[in-house]
Amino acid sequence: MIQPVLDARGISVHYGGVTALDEVDIAVGPGQVVGLIGPNGAGKTTFIDALTGFVRHEGTVRLDGVDLKRKRPHARVQAGLGRTWQAVDLFDDLSVAENIAVAAHRPTLVSTLRELLGATLPQSAAVASSLEALDIAHLAEARPRELAEGQRKLVGIARSLAAAPKVLCLDEPAAGLDTDESAVLGQQLRRLADDGQSMLLIDHDISFVFGTCDHVVVLEFGKVIAAGLPGDVKNDPRVIAAYLGTAAASISGERS
Amino acid sequence: MTQALELRGLSAGYHGSTVVRDLDLRVGRGEVVTLLGPNGAGKTTTLCAISGVIKTHGGSVTLGGEDISSVSPTRRARRGIAHVPEDRGLFFGLTVAEHLKLGRRGEHLDAELAYKYFPALAAITNRRAGVMSGGEQQMLALGRALARQPGLLLLDELSLGLAPVIVERLLPVIRQFADETGCGVLLVEQHVQLALGIADRAYLMGHGEGSTSYDASELLNDTRLIEASYLGGDDLDLESLATDHNQKIYERETQ
Amino acid sequence: MQNILLFSILGLASGAIIATIAIGVVLSWRGSGTINIAAGAVVMVAGYIFWCLRTGYFAPALMMVPAVLLTLVLMALLAVVVEVVAVKPLRTASPLARLVASIGVLLLFQAAVQLVFGTAPVDSPAVLSAEVVEVVGVTVPIAHFILAGVVVVLALALSMLYRFTRFGLATRAASENERSAILAGLSPDSLSLANSVIAYVVAGLVGVLAASVVGVSASTLPLLIVPALAAALLANFTSFGIACAAGLAIGIGESLLFYASTQSWFPTQDGFALPGMQQVAEFFLIVIALWWRGSSLPQRGETAGRSLPPVPRQERLVRRAAPVVLACAVALVVLPSDFRQAVTTGLVATVLCLSFVVIMGYVGQLSVVQLALAGLGAFTVSRLGTEFGIGFPLGPIIAIALATVLGVAIGAAALRVRGITLVVVTLAAAIAIEQFVFANARWGGGQTGAPVESPTLFGVNLGADASFPGLNGTLPSPLFGLLALVGTVVLYAFVANLRRGDLGRRMLAVRSNERAAAAVGVNVRAVKIVAFGIASALAGTAGVMYAYNYSTVSAGSYGIAIALTLVASVYVLGVTLVQGAVLAGFGAIGAVVPLILQKWVLPQDQISIWVQLIIGVGLLVQLKLFPDGLLVGMELKKERRAEHKAQSEPSVVSPRVEEGVPA
Ligand SMILES: Nc1ncnc2c1ncn2[C@@H]1O[C@H](COP(=O)(O)OP(=O)(O)OP(=O)(O)O)[C@@H](O)[C@H]1O
Ligand SMILES: Nc1ncnc2c1ncn2[C@@H]1O[C@H](COP(=O)(O)OP(=O)(O)OP(=O)(O)O)[C@@H](O)[C@H]1O
Ligand SMILES: [Mg+2]
Ligand SMILES: [Mg+2]
Repeated sequence: MIQPVLDARGISVHYGGVTALDEVDIAVGPGQVVGLIGPNGAGKTTFIDALTGFVRHEGTVRLDGVDLKRKRPHARVQAGLGRTWQAVDLFDDLSVAENIAVAAHRPTLVSTLRELLGATLPQSAAVASSLEALDIAHLAEARPRELAEGQRKLVGIARSLAAAPKVLCLDEPAAGLDTDESAVLGQQLRRLADDGQSMLLIDHDISFVFGTCDHVVVLEFGKVIAAGLPGDVKNDPRVIAAYLGTAAASISGERS
Repeated sequence: MTQALELRGLSAGYHGSTVVRDLDLRVGRGEVVTLLGPNGAGKTTTLCAISGVIKTHGGSVTLGGEDISSVSPTRRARRGIAHVPEDRGLFFGLTVAEHLKLGRRGEHLDAELAYKYFPALAAITNRRAGVMSGGEQQMLALGRALARQPGLLLLDELSLGLAPVIVERLLPVIRQFADETGCGVLLVEQHVQLALGIADRAYLMGHGEGSTSYDASELLNDTRLIEASYLGGDDLDLESLATDHNQKIYERETQ
Repeated sequence: MQNILLFSILGLASGAIIATIAIGVVLSWRGSGTINIAAGAVVMVAGYIFWCLRTGYFAPALMMVPAVLLTLVLMALLAVVVEVVAVKPLRTASPLARLVASIGVLLLFQAAVQLVFGTAPVDSPAVLSAEVVEVVGVTVPIAHFILAGVVVVLALALSMLYRFTRFGLATRAASENERSAILAGLSPDSLSLANSVIAYVVAGLVGVLAASVVGVSASTLPLLIVPALAAALLANFTSFGIACAAGLAIGIGESLLFYASTQSWFPTQDGFALPGMQQVAEFFLIVIALWWRGSSLPQRGETAGRSLPPVPRQERLVRRAAPVVLACAVALVVLPSDFRQAVTTGLVATVLCLSFVVIMGYVGQLSVVQLALAGLGAFTVSRLGTEFGIGFPLGPIIAIALATVLGVAIGAAALRVRGITLVVVTLAAAIAIEQFVFANARWGGGQTGAPVESPTLFGVNLGADASFPGLNGTLPSPLFGLLALVGTVVLYAFVANLRRGDLGRRMLAVRSNERAAAAVGVNVRAVKIVAFGIASALAGTAGVMYAYNYSTVSAGSYGIAIALTLVASVYVLGVTLVQGAVLAGFGAIGAVVPLILQKWVLPQDQISIWVQLIIGVGLLVQLKLFPDGLLVGMELKKERRAEHKAQSEPSVVSPRVEEGVPA
């Protein structure tokens, strides 16, 4: 078995009296796309929040063998955990390219000091390449406020991609995209994965999830109720009852 | 049949730039109509212009036979428009129960109805909307809109963030709600097949241009039209296809 | 023991007033999502109205009951007027704009009252019983208890109103999200008006009582806003009960601290009690309360509304700045001496205002402590020179470093509040510095002012008294002005450049959304601390320049009233643009614009009150025309026009067109 890039074990999260996650284990291997699905309120977003340090959690998160437990969110991101938000949060005062540049540049004490003394730092190539990867180079100079919802989603993904994360956690990237657009996004993500990008993918567009992921984990009430190859998960009666409904039958283009 | 909503020559947009041009559209009582079009076509803009949260640049909006073009958005809401916007229009500091109590003086929201359609909400009545999951928020927004018992329901991105089982249960609910209360529903939905499944009619929007009305079941069978609109093909194309389409219907009917 | 009781009860009255103002702050936060800096001034106005009616200042004196009722009616009317003039036009603007408007209202109320009634406090005829009671052996006026009791009852009533009624629910909804409220059929305008009226009437009632118990003063009552803000912050700006309790507690605490200062164990200096202990204690109380309450990143579901005006791109700055620089250089040589001085002051104030551009404009944190830090720098230069013989350039370097360190420390202590609520902590810090350092006869100038030695380098005097007079042969020497000009230009370029670079982008990211910024690897704390550092260093520099410019430092130039005025004027002129700092700098006290007003426009007596009145009116007018600030508003218009043109040609933001989409 190959060493997973991301190894989260025994993740539990409590909000007051509510247990949002209960001992969840998920591992993501190199170049693997792991899907995380489940009913509304199952704890999927909370899981990403826990990984990236935005909520207090129990359990261990290891990235390439390094324990992230004591790190604050920005340090976890710098260590290689990228994420997007379910409700896109672009920086309204910056253009699309600048939004991405914030993620692409990793400041050091020296570079900050040099900048304070008036030096201009070179533009990172990651800005252009991540815009390119999602086919939105033409939006580079636009302001986030002027974009339609679907475009904002793509910019959000490009932004987290620009930080060259070891694992990219995407929270409902296809929400707000139509069927065809999500298919295109699926292809783009697949291409990235084939180039070695590991991903954790949450979405409710099941053709998109099943068509893109190598492995699918299903949460319900904060617990894993099924995990495995897309084909197996799809036919699991518990998953059908809790989440898929009759839509299970119509899933197309699934990866084996 | 009287119309729940009628738009004539509606134009709308943002400080100067017009996004929607010369749109004609109507929604009958108890009718479910869907507005289709690619990303950035102006669907959201249209709904906002109807509920009045953005100013129109021209044309008229008629609600239940009354011209409301110059009526303030607050008054429009009081006259029975319930608009579930793209960002869901919730109050992060208010709990579920408070959302279902909130209304203008004398207005009574049917909270039971919301809990009936979305049982998941009943379990979290005291949770603040801000901390709820995306799907839970969507349920609350829809539940609240239904609980207001509107005369016109504007739904932007109906299925956004909802689990497939919920969507599956929800669609018939909307249909039934429209049939039973006579509420007109104007629906924007990214998943075309879903939308066409419950709609009576559909409008296709190209980029900024007005659109033609189609029978929903016709569109379900004729994907060419939708493709043309979504691919942003030039208007000529769309129009010739539309004539083509109408021709076919005509032929069938005359046979 | 008896004394402790006595002083506690004596503190009850001022505690009740602080509590009322705190309640007013909570009301306006709930009603319109902003901090009302004028809440104290409103109580004062009520006190004066009542005093007029009772003593027959304008018309025949009224009996007590009609006077009280009429006061309340007039307060309700005043609420309507303020709502129409200063609140309604800004309903869709950022909360910061509304906060600045409330500063305008404060300045206006205070100046108007002082112009009409003078600056001496007035006492109304008693409303409450003048009897005294004996409590455990001490005799105290019963009115103190009644006043406190009234405030407690008001707090309870208000918290019931907002918790249990439809109106309370609707108010919470509308102040959180205006658009959603409209879609829900609520009318944010009428809700806001109703809340204003409630706030003014409540303040009016207590103002009436206070006028007869402790008297009203136009110069001190409005400034009780500072402890009241602390109480409101503890109450998270939402709980009436906590705001009321905290307000009363602060009043009692102040009174007890005053008692303590008469004791032998209290720290003294030259035989007198150390000044400013109370303000320092308040500051630390706030900081401790924050650690126990806030979190260093906003939590899920904490609404982060748009709290600041947009940041236009800054282009072709050299071309725009060059003529101004040239004009300044010429003016510094040819103008008469008072104008030369005013130009230099304008330059120095520009540097100070640049610090607001960094911390408020770029990072979105409303800090008002910078003027106090400038004062600290100025006093340090003075003391280092006169007492330790440390002159230029080591003295200023130490002074700037000191201001920076203190500023960073305050910023670090305040990391758990963000946006406009930061104003509370920084106000408390500013007052603490003012009372603890400036008012201290040994460290600060006391009330007299501290001398500053002119800077010399290699034996050449660079100061305002250099042997190189202006064209008309008088001092101040243009040499210092020209040096100040060079310094200002460098710092101006620095701040403008900041916006374009990597650090500036990170600042704007933090300003937009701290959670999202952290999620792309931005160290939010570090960015804020760096920004506090830069702002404080700029402020310290300005302080040093002030000191050299006037050759003396006096505490009066660094008070919080001036700080608030400065913040407000930077905002209305354009806080996200470096040019805004220049305009605000030249409009600052002692600079060119006020000098012109003083010389040719305004009556000679009560000049500072007139200036305050004009600034108050100016703020409100300006906000009505350009809610985002003058220069920002104009810049945005220009951008939009350019965009519009671009849209008629092929657009940059052309919607996505995909090829080869699978059907
Ligand atoms: N601060 C909080 N306090 C109380 N409950 C919370 C808090 N934050 C989240 N929750 C609850 O935790 C549960 C998990 O939420 P989460 O956002 O992880 O769900 P999700 O699986 O992402 O759902 P969706 O598919 O709808 O986005 C939800 O029921 C939510 O209401
Ligand atoms: N506030 C705004 N200012 C300027 N332009 C805007 C604004 N909001 C939207 N637009 C532009 O108007 C066009 C239509 O946007 P709209 O949101 O109505 O599209 P939509 O059909 O709802 O798209 P989607 O399917 O992505 O939600 C887009 O091209 C967008 O760039
Ligand atoms: Mg989620
Ligand atoms: Mg839309």
